[in-house]
Amino acid sequence: MYRYDEFDAALVHERIAEFSDQVDRRSSGALTEDEFKPLRLMNGVYLQLHAYMLRVAVPYGVMNSRQMRRLAHIARTYDKGYGHFTTRTNIQYNWPALQDLPAILGDLAEVEMHAIQTSGNCIRNVTTDVFAGVAADEIEDPRPWCEIIRQWSTIHPEFSFLPRKFKIAVIGAAKDRAAIRTHDVGLQIVRGEDGQTAFRVFVGGGQGRLPHIAQEIASGVPGPSLLAYLTAILRAYNLLGRRDNIHKARIKILVAAIGIDAFRDEVERQFAILRLEDLRIPDEELVRIQAYFTPPPFEVQPIVSSAYDAARRLSPEFARFTRSNLRPHKQPGYSAVIVSLKPVNSVPGDVTADQMEVVADLAARFSFDEVRASYEQNLVLPHVRLEDVHAVWSRLRDVGLATANADLATDIIACPGLDYCSLANARSIPVAQALSRQLADVDLQERLGPLRINISGCINACGHHHVGHIGVLGVDRKGEEYYQITIGGSPDEQAALGEIVGRSLPADEVAPAIARALDRYLEVRMDGELFIDTVRRLGADPFRTAIYEPIDAAA
Amino acid sequence: MKLLTANRLNDGRVIYLGEADAAVETIEAARILDAGAAEAALVLAQSRPAVFVNPYLIEVEGRAPSGRDRLKESIRSIGPTVGHSLGFVARNEIA
Repeated sequence: MYRYDEFDAALVHERIAEFSDQVDRRSSGALTEDEFKPLRLMNGVYLQLHAYMLRVAVPYGVMNSRQMRRLAHIARTYDKGYGHFTTRTNIQYNWPALQDLPAILGDLAEVEMHAIQTSGNCIRNVTTDVFAGVAADEIEDPRPWCEIIRQWSTIHPEFSFLPRKFKIAVIGAAKDRAAIRTHDVGLQIVRGEDGQTAFRVFVGGGQGRLPHIAQEIASGVPGPSLLAYLTAILRAYNLLGRRDNIHKARIKILVAAIGIDAFRDEVERQFAILRLEDLRIPDEELVRIQAYFTPPPFEVQPIVSSAYDAARRLSPEFARFTRSNLRPHKQPGYSAVIVSLKPVNSVPGDVTADQMEVVADLAARFSFDEVRASYEQNLVLPHVRLEDVHAVWSRLRDVGLATANADLATDIIACPGLDYCSLANARSIPVAQALSRQLADVDLQERLGPLRINISGCINACGHHHVGHIGVLGVDRKGEEYYQITIGGSPDEQAALGEIVGRSLPADEVAPAIARALDRYLEVRMDGELFIDTVRRLGADPFRTAIYEPIDAAA
Repeated sequence: MKLLTANRLNDGRVIYLGEADAAVETIEAARILDAGAAEAALVLAQSRPAVFVNPYLIEVEGRAPSGRDRLKESIRSIGPTVGHSLGFVARNEIA
């Protein structure tokens, strides 16, 4: 993984010194809250319902064990013993005190982490495929490109005060495991006509109040020109994006308003007048960055492991875990292991300090010192030998991290909602918990197959409800929590927004309603057909009927 | 009737204006304000930015939040209704 050079280290330490001074001035009253707010937001600090909240960047979701242990230390020392992984693969602490923030940032800097640009109207943490460097279908590992974008975008003088926040995701395969079409800019590595690395570029995606699926703006931007092309997009947006209305300030609104062709023309106009020589990525620099991401020293392993096979035969519980939580690795004899942060009745994405330390130990011992955060709010040990999977599972099970539900019905993505968030209209977590209890039967979950349920506590859509196969949106109706259900959203290469199926429901009716929709799916699906494919074939109507018929009959 | 609430500057925690203009941590200790006292309390809190961040008034019946934001204010007064904070509170703070 990437390691800081002296420039990275100096930049982070300078920022801590600056922010430390700002915190002191805020504490002394020299800065008002209005003056301090934009400064703290530049350092990932929010003021939420109950306390300050600190959002720490996990660049493209990649961590080593030392970093994970440090995150645990921060949770234990400055917070309430836990952290919360987000859909941007960051980690949030819900209870830090103002005066502790510089010390926390100092602790993070020691392990090459920070909270810069985790909020505010700037380019946010770049995300990628959690199986980057693992998946056999990738053309190229996207992480070096993520790192290049990270370096280019960090405290970028021209793009630190954009009309609104700006999110970029990069994938290296045709299969989209990073929801790139829901991003302001989505980048897909392709082979250019010359056989070299190029990028298919999507622009204008986003969720929130006015959701849009990103549109293709370019089919083959050459790798060395990537930063120039991104600069042209950002410059066009920075100049033309609206600043008069926060709800209409994202690039998605601009692209939708003028049309993708007009926006492309504008980007190309900007591209034509850039000093390209300043923005071309030098070959030697690309090679230098790529060297940080060379594959670990894998052992030559047989494709099968007799110990692994025997453990599967002996333990149905372990066998179930391997069916749901393992993903194939391009290296024979290895596998990626998904560490579920979604035990039944838990808070999606929450992880305790003790659990973080166990994951760190497992990463160090079994996964070449690497652990990843996924946008689905789980962790991944990316490089585990098949013969070690049982040992990993056993230790995860000891600490409640071996729930066999990756990508299944109870692997629910949910924002913190009104339990923590000052923007929320309704709680998300209790609804997720009720759903996970309702759908807890592991045999049922396996029968249902891959299925994504997303819950957001308000229209800002941090829980990505628009692109959930089943989406749940909390709304406020005269002070009461109600929930709107959508069906048919999808975050992947067939990205789509879900369709609202009807009026909103009170909290206690949501889980039974979704269970009825899933029962209907089991009745109407064809052999081997996934839930989302059944929705694509039949539309939302059968599920709408399943949800509302009993309610209407009782009314 | 109304209460005055804010977040506390040094740790962001929820506070209320209590008796003798003190900042108190529990809604039970908050001073109940009629319309006239509420406006004066708001001016007072705004004049003490070293303690009260973003002060505002909430509607209550007794000391229970009422009005449109009653759920949000109830959660602010008792903490998250679920999750690790809840367990943490039970284990470490109430004892």
